[in-house]
Amino acid sequence: MQAFQKDLLRFEKLNAQVLGVSTDSLATHEEFSSKHGLTFPLIADEGGELQKLYAPGRVTFIIDQTGTVRFVQKGVPVNEALLEELSKF
Amino acid sequence: MRRSIIGTLATSAMVALGSIGARALEVGEKAPHFEVPSTKGSIQLSDYLGKRHVVLAFYFADFTPT
Repeated sequence: MQAFQKDLLRFEKLNAQVLGVSTDSLATHEEFSSKHGLTFPLIADEGGELQKLYAPGRVTFIIDQTGTVRFVQKGVPVNEALLEELSKF
Repeated sequence: MRRSIIGTLATSAMVALGSIGARALEVGEKAPHFEVPSTKGSIQLSDYLGKRHVVLAFYFADFTPT
């Protein structure tokens, strides 16, 4: 998530909101955010319900502003690839 | 007898679907609605519709090496 923070302005310039999701509690997320200076939201998906709706494992989705999935990246997020996709919109 | 066969088939189908596990959303599909707690308060997908694109990044856990 620190990598997203580092490139956050670039995502914002492309009109994108970064949201991190894990099964950690809000308390853990708060601690993690403050330790690493994360300014974007971290979602507490404690029951894994959101993950079930989307896809298993480590995966990043780009959802455009109409609510359509435009890009799916499995594994560790690669910001350059995500930013390139967003720049096509 | 017939009913039990149909019942068995239906159960098998449900087990088969369950074994696929969580679905994997694909490009071109509508993103499912969500309303979830976050470090910035409750978030819904609809908060961003018509305004911003969303990069939704699922990761394993805080405080793990990335």
